[in-house]
Parts: sequence; C-alpha cells; structure tokens
Amino acid sequence: MNQRRLRRLLLTLLLTLPAVVAAHHSFTAQFDANKPVTVRGTVTKMDWINPHSWIHLETKDADGKTITWMVELGTPNVLVRRGFTKKALEAGTEIVVSGYQAKNGENKMNGGYVTFKDGTRLFAGGSGPGEAPTPIPGAPQK
Amino acid sequence: MRRLLLALMSVLAVAMATPRASAQTASSWTPPKTPWGDPDLQGIWPSTHMLQTPVQRDPKMGTRAVLNDEEYAQRMRQVKAFANIEAGNPDRVPISAGWFDPGKGSRQASLVVDPPDGRIPALTPETQKREAERLARYKEKKDAPDTWQDLTTWDRCISLGAVGSMLPFYYNNGIEIVQAPGYVVIRNEMIHEARVIPLDGRPHVGSAVRMWMGDSRGHWESATLVVETTNFNTRVGVGPGDGGFGDAAPRPTENLRVTERFTRADEHTVDYQVTIQDLNTWTKPWTMAYPLRQEPNYTTISEYACHEGNIFMHDVLSGARAVEAKATAAKKGSN
Repeated sequence: MNQRRLRRLLLTLLLTLPAVVAAHHSFTAQFDANKPVTVRGTVTKMDWINPHSWIHLETKDADGKTITWMVELGTPNVLVRRGFTKKALEAGTEIVVSGYQAKNGENKMNGGYVTFKDGTRLFAGGSGPGEAPTPIPGAPQK
Repeated sequence: MRRLLLALMSVLAVAMATPRASAQTASSWTPPKTPWGDPDLQGIWPSTHMLQTPVQRDPKMGTRAVLNDEEYAQRMRQVKAFANIEAGNPDRVPISAGWFDPGKGSRQASLVVDPPDGRIPALTPETQKREAERLARYKEKKDAPDTWQDLTTWDRCISLGAVGSMLPFYYNNGIEIVQAPGYVVIRNEMIHEARVIPLDGRPHVGSAVRMWMGDSRGHWESATLVVETTNFNTRVGVGPGDGGFGDAAPRPTENLRVTERFTRADEHTVDYQVTIQDLNTWTKPWTMAYPLRQEPNYTTISEYACHEGNIFMHDVLSGARAVEAKATAAKKGSN
C-alpha cells in the first residue's frame, strides 16, 4: 500500500469509527487545533502515568527567562510496546517537540513529534486531530 | 432452549472467525483446574487482538457472522495501517492513531452475535426520548463544559461500568482473572476496576443498593464461569457510544441484568460472552461474544492512575472559560 492510500485509509477509519477511535479524553475539549506550536528545550522529567504520560521540558524565551512546558503522551503500556523505554527521554535530553497548545493558554501541548538533536524522530502519540502536525522548521526529517 | 441456541451461535461465530491452536493440540489439551478443583481461568487475558472488529455488524452483511476473504483483506489493511505506526513509520498517519495498539485482525464480523444480524436492538420509545435529550446536552457541552457534570464518567476517572470495562479498546485492554476458593476476581486495566465475585450462591444485595459496576454473583456450569450482575446505578452507559465507550452509550434503567460467561477454550484463550437485558431500555436482550487471549508482550497490567494524572479536568474547564472570555472581549471590542 502506498503512503497516500495508507493515509486515506487511516483518515477514513478515523472519520467512520469515531466511537472506536475516541481517546480517553476529547482532544478538542482540551487542546486548540488552531494553535500548533513547536518548542525546542531540555527534558527535566518524564511522568509515566497511565493513561496519560507527560514529558516536562524547559526552554528559554527571547529574554533568557526559563519557560516550562508539558507534553502529553499516550498510555505507558502502549508506549513501551512501541519501544519507547525509560531511557528514551532521560533528563537533560535536548529535543524539539511539535503539537497543539492547550485551549486555556497554559504551556501544555498534545505531542505530535519529538525530534532529537541528531535528527532522530521519536513518535509521541498524542490524541490529536486527524492530521499530521505542522512540520518542525529546520528540524531534519527522517 | 434459547440459551443453548445462543451459546451454540456464539461458539460457532467466534470459532469460525478466530484462529486457534491446531486441532491436534486442542484435542490433546486438558483444561487446567485450581488446587481446590475449580476450572482454572487465572491469568491476564487482553482483548487487544479484537481491535478493528466493530461492535455492530455492517447491515449489508445481514446474518453472516464471518468476513469473506475480501472483507478480511480490508480489515487486515486497517490493522496494517495502525501497525505501521509501531513499525516506526509515523510520518504518514494521523497522530490520533498513535495512542493505539493495532489489533491482530479477526474474521469475526462483529462483537454482537445476537440478534443474528449483529445489531444492537432498538431502544424503547421512552429510552429514545430520554437519550435524545441527554445526548443533545452531551454533544453541546462535551467540548465546552459548563461544569464537571457535563463530562463523562470516563473523563472523570469514575467508571466505564461492567460492560464497558470488558469491551476491547485501543489501549488498556488488560483483563486479569484471579481465583480463590469460593471467589473469582475480575480486574480491568481500564478503568482500575476489580469485581470480587462470590461463588457461594448468596443472594444479591438489596435493590436499594446501586453501584457503578453492579453486584456480581458467580457459579459454575460445567467448565463455564457464569457471572450474573444486577444492582447497577443508571449513571454510566452500556455499549458503545459516539463519544467513546460508556459515555454517549444509552443509560440503562435499574432493571439492567448482565450475564457473562467465561470458558477456557485452549491454553491461551478464554471465550467470553455477555448478554445485556433491560427491556425498559432495549426492546430485546442482546449478546456480544469474543475471545480473550493471552499475549506474550502483555503480561502486566499498568496501574490506572487516572485521578493523579487527570490534568484534563483542569484544562478543559479553564479552557472553556478562556474561550468564553475571549469571545466576550471580542464582542466588547466590536461594540
């Protein structure tokens, strides 16, 4: 199956089986699909919480002030089965994350992609809308 | 007689639709017993492999309970599409699929096996009216709730109920059975439920006592564990709904009676059947049947720390207020 057909199949599936594909919480209640964000920062910790894991990271704003962000991930047992282990995101790791910001304006996002310094991309599996997030500017695509 | 027919239909549908160990292995396999002589159902039996099998059958299939080769190929394409995420190919798929296990792909046409068309029976006229009112508010408020009461029992980390907790979903499908003399415990990964079921024939609790998971009593019919559950409250839905299991699904009445049957089919499989009866809600009883199957990489159940991690409640309520404030400010600005 080529990638276009694969994407069409997934989109069809997501549109036609909303009951089955609904995640625990409604994405549109919590996050704003019109506010895609990309953050470059350093991981401070990872919360492995079932059913919603969170990456915590710090970044700097234009004035050098530290800003904290939280990135929502899926349930630990699926992440682990996908090969996302405890060592995948240790404190101190520099990453670029893209996703959608919380509706309340807080620095939380539903993660789409996590990209490491060397360009390797880690799938972050958020419960986002049925489309790929905005590409990360300047980040190597793998 | 009806029970016999139903059992036969369920077994045939599930047996035809799902691969088992070879016939030789099956015939030489002896179901294990506990040290005290009960059939041994203990273990972790995820329903993950049944993902991609819809609850209700495509009406075009009529009473045909098993997919033909073309339909099965289509289902396997869906499985493969989801599995591609796990194969490290996330770039081409919607990120909303990324939370999910892909399933294995079954030939079973639907989880519902009775009525024979695989469709959940119609709601009674009273329930249709009641549900239309409830769903209208649910749909209006689910993305912009006024209060925590507008959110579901799943959002609020309370319960999916006894039926919803057993249905396959895209994550947290661990079902653990633990036995002790006189008791069976059924533990669900989602959403941290554990039913402690006495087998000693004691009566149900009084009808004034109402619980999220109901009041379960079990007994053995040959090698089958039969669990009868009553005394439900009416605050969690039964079956699938358009917002997820247990939330948009119809709310039952206090007459709801759920009958589950667990039968060890082979070393790695427990056949599961659940009949839902509440003639005040549905016009006739209906039954789902599907196998629960051990998986080599699914040997532990994660603690479901929902309340501790439930940032959603804060985010969604404050998010709704932020959207309102923005709209109010914009209105003032335009005046």
